[in-house]
Amino acid sequence: MNKIFLLAITSLLILQTSAQQKFTISGTIKDKATGESLIGATVRVNSSKPYNLKSNEYGFYSITLPKDKYTIKASFVSYNESDTTLNLDSSITLNIFLDNKSVLKEVIISTKKKNDNLTKAVMGTETLNMRDIAKIPVLFGEKDVLKTIQLLPGIKSAGEGNAGFSVRGGGIDQNLILLDEAPVYNASHLLGFFSTFNSDAIKDATIIKGNAPTQYGGRLASVLDVKMKEGNNKDFNVNGGIGLISSRISVEGPIQNEKSSFIVSGRRTYADMFLKASPDFKDNELYFYDLNAKANYQINKKNRLFISGYFGKDLLAFGSSFGIDWGNQTASLRLNTIVNSKLFLNTSFMHSNYDFGIKIKSGETDFNIRSNIKDWNLKQDYTWYANPKNAIRFGFQAIHHTITPNTFTGTVNNSFPKRGRESLENAIYINNNYKANDKLTIDYGVRFGAFTVLGGDTYKLYNKGLLYDSVVLAKGKVGKTYWNLEPRLTANYRLTEMSSLKFGYARNIQHLHLLSNSTAGSPSDQWIGNSYNIQPELADQLSLGFSRNFNNNNYELNIEGYYKAMQNQVDYKDGADLRSSTDLESQLLFGIGRAYGIEVMFKKKTGKLTGWISYTLSKTERKIDGINNFNWYNVRLDRTHDVSIVATYQLNEKWTLSGLYVYNTGNAVTFPTGKYEIGGQTIFQYANRNANRMPSNHRLDISATVQFKPRKNWSSDLSFGIYNIYGQQNPFTITFRDDPNDPTKTQALQTALFRWVPSISYNFKF
Amino acid sequence: MKKINFLYATLITIAFTSCEKVIEVNTDGNNNSIVIEGNITNTPPPYFIKITNSVPYTQSNLYPPVTNALVLITNNAGVRDTLTYTNNGLYKTNKTIGTPGNTYTLNVTANSVVYTAQSKMPNIVILDSLRSIDTKFRNEVRYSIVPVYTDAVFFGNGYRFIQTINGVQDKSYTVWNDNVNNGLVNQRPIRSRDENVKIKVGDVVNVEMRCIDENVYRYFYTLQELAGGGLGGGVTPTNPPNNISNGALGIFSAHITQQKSIIIK
Repeated sequence: MNKIFLLAITSLLILQTSAQQKFTISGTIKDKATGESLIGATVRVNSSKPYNLKSNEYGFYSITLPKDKYTIKASFVSYNESDTTLNLDSSITLNIFLDNKSVLKEVIISTKKKNDNLTKAVMGTETLNMRDIAKIPVLFGEKDVLKTIQLLPGIKSAGEGNAGFSVRGGGIDQNLILLDEAPVYNASHLLGFFSTFNSDAIKDATIIKGNAPTQYGGRLASVLDVKMKEGNNKDFNVNGGIGLISSRISVEGPIQNEKSSFIVSGRRTYADMFLKASPDFKDNELYFYDLNAKANYQINKKNRLFISGYFGKDLLAFGSSFGIDWGNQTASLRLNTIVNSKLFLNTSFMHSNYDFGIKIKSGETDFNIRSNIKDWNLKQDYTWYANPKNAIRFGFQAIHHTITPNTFTGTVNNSFPKRGRESLENAIYINNNYKANDKLTIDYGVRFGAFTVLGGDTYKLYNKGLLYDSVVLAKGKVGKTYWNLEPRLTANYRLTEMSSLKFGYARNIQHLHLLSNSTAGSPSDQWIGNSYNIQPELADQLSLGFSRNFNNNNYELNIEGYYKAMQNQVDYKDGADLRSSTDLESQLLFGIGRAYGIEVMFKKKTGKLTGWISYTLSKTERKIDGINNFNWYNVRLDRTHDVSIVATYQLNEKWTLSGLYVYNTGNAVTFPTGKYEIGGQTIFQYANRNANRMPSNHRLDISATVQFKPRKNWSSDLSFGIYNIYGQQNPFTITFRDDPNDPTKTQALQTALFRWVPSISYNFKF
Repeated sequence: MKKINFLYATLITIAFTSCEKVIEVNTDGNNNSIVIEGNITNTPPPYFIKITNSVPYTQSNLYPPVTNALVLITNNAGVRDTLTYTNNGLYKTNKTIGTPGNTYTLNVTANSVVYTAQSKMPNIVILDSLRSIDTKFRNEVRYSIVPVYTDAVFFGNGYRFIQTINGVQDKSYTVWNDNVNNGLVNQRPIRSRDENVKIKVGDVVNVEMRCIDENVYRYFYTLQELAGGGLGGGVTPTNPPNNISNGALGIFSAHITQQKSIIIK
């Protein structure tokens, strides 16, 4: 294995040899007013041969050039361009501060440089800035990054109004959701209607649909990398919002002027206040809250420390007799080190925790069911700006997982004690971004990972649910290790000034699996790691893309096709017992999956009217021995057609109007074909799994935002909107029951949820 | 999970505008399969095997009986019993006697296909009594029944409960096993999955407790989970896994049955 790694390193280093003397320009790009670092800002070097590059996740950039005179231009969306001319005769540090244009004259839907889609070797990637999503209409007026990404091609909502999403046919658990690098295991609140991401605390979010660079790993379908704001290091600010469902407030400011800053942001829903107002529900509780906090400190010129945390909790309770609660906590401590002008290092230490519990108390019966997942995560990531043609990223990651399945305590106890299972997930990776020439850019690398089962439990082996062997692994012992190599490559070839062709291949591995028997996700779904039965999930994705820009890059057209083959997919067997089973693994079946499709996105990026049209044509199936007679079947979220149209119109400096239209084929579901009677009760007979379709969905949402005249240190706006304005009855469920008028007949009952849902929210800043 | 569905319903009534309507759904696929239902209990014989056919779900609940089947029950004590057809698809035993601990094998030959099934009658676990517990629920007091019995010390016991309130049977399924509290006095109440079942002071509640084998447990457990298919999503629908070969629907169950009643005070 060492040989392979060495070979990989050597092959990655396509270094230029040159006798000419070279020097490095490096530094950080920041917002002039707030000191917030700018991610993905463009640096252009004007010389006989122009270069351009991007600042990294911490605003750092570095470029090495021959001795000469240069003009360095730095730019970022809605910021004024900076211009520095210098004589490069020694390596220098150039920190750049960009001026935010104070009044947002136009809404721009991407932080990207105008023709990024033509020049960068990335595929299936979109970055959303919080400003981008602010004006898009959303259910209950609650800005939500997870709901906005569902409007992009290839990303499907788990259900109407649901924060869960599926990328290119993947499961909800196949998305790696990172908040300041710490994984979030359940990104939804209130049974999925809200995400855990409070938009006030978020800087931006990037979604990568399967073709992620090798520094990311651990999930099959996508990476959603969410970055929290750093806080203003020059002035104190208070931001807040009052809405129908929740209120938010955040405070940011310097700890030491221009050296360090903090931000604390909180959000709480008040659905329970409505509950309390009704005598029927006054003993019941139903709420969630989020708390985000982050601080950063510039230790010296070379080192900067970040500490960030998230704490969220949901509680649903009926008096003292029944309650459900769940919550995520994440914490990350990161140290940025500029080792030298060409080498940037980030060391991160993260902790994630997810808890779920049910409490039942009545009379002498008093018990709890709890499950938990806990991670300790250490990561070191180096970026070496070797030369203008190669930027090499390498590092390692080590995660210690502890997963405790549903455990009963109190008057009801498991007959056989259940133990938490521990495991180690380690990886090393290397990746090179190689600019071969003006036309060709290739991003390629490999991730080499190992997942090790650790001792402390007995691992049973099953064949189709029948026990045939077991492995007793004592605490402190090391069990089975799975080794995996994940090669990935993305290439961009510029066909003409205005168009380019892309190709990508990626292998992704997943070691943790979310077990869900419900047709929609539930907070009670349990995670399980690889074991002696459960093998790592594996996906190979091939994609091909074409991008074309029009009208001086104001319009952008991206088309991508993909084919993905998946192995070791996990599902429950029919009639699986989830809550009290003595060993969850006995309830599982394994198989393969395939997904393919075409995604089209047409964007208008500038002007008074901005927005996009996205269309996805796709198919996703699975084949598992023990389900559907070992024939291919549709996954539930296999929707053939998916259309989103998003438009925002800036009427004048005060008013902004926006609209959103979505259409999609209904979910694949299983309807009864026949019926029979057992014990005097009707039982439905089913044929093939997910062979039926829900009716298709469509709706139009609109909203308007009015920006009030800013007064001294005080600015505010008011947004109002209507969700599903033409009141389409989109089926949420279809259930079958006895006809109340004729119990010898069966009828299908459709329930639609959201029609004409109004929203209003007031946001302020001082 | 019922509670989660209820929470959805609560949320929706409070904050949203939900709406229901009856629609037409056309499905094709199997709807003319053989259905076998057999029960052998520890109560005195005769016992019956019912053989019918399933019908499309759009039709009335009239299930065509299978009248010309050859039905044979044997047990591990060597008794062979050929059943006699009576009516409505029912076949009656002649010499089988339900005995705890015995294994019964059912052979049905219908339209030249042979279907076999096996079930072992578990040993008896005595239902001592019933007690009621109250739960404050939506500002009203509701009662649930706790069947009081001591689970057998050896592992692997399954139970099914059928409650009847003032003579009306609760149509939801309640099954559990000793994966929790093996060998201990039961603490779990019967929680109806039917929101319309409300037990109040003065109600007479009858509970039938069945001691069932593993396959029968799995069958009714699946039906119990499928019934949760409300707004929360529910389990992917499937035909419950059963103990009858050759794709026949239904279940063959050799079980212990006991009953107790309680008046809620």
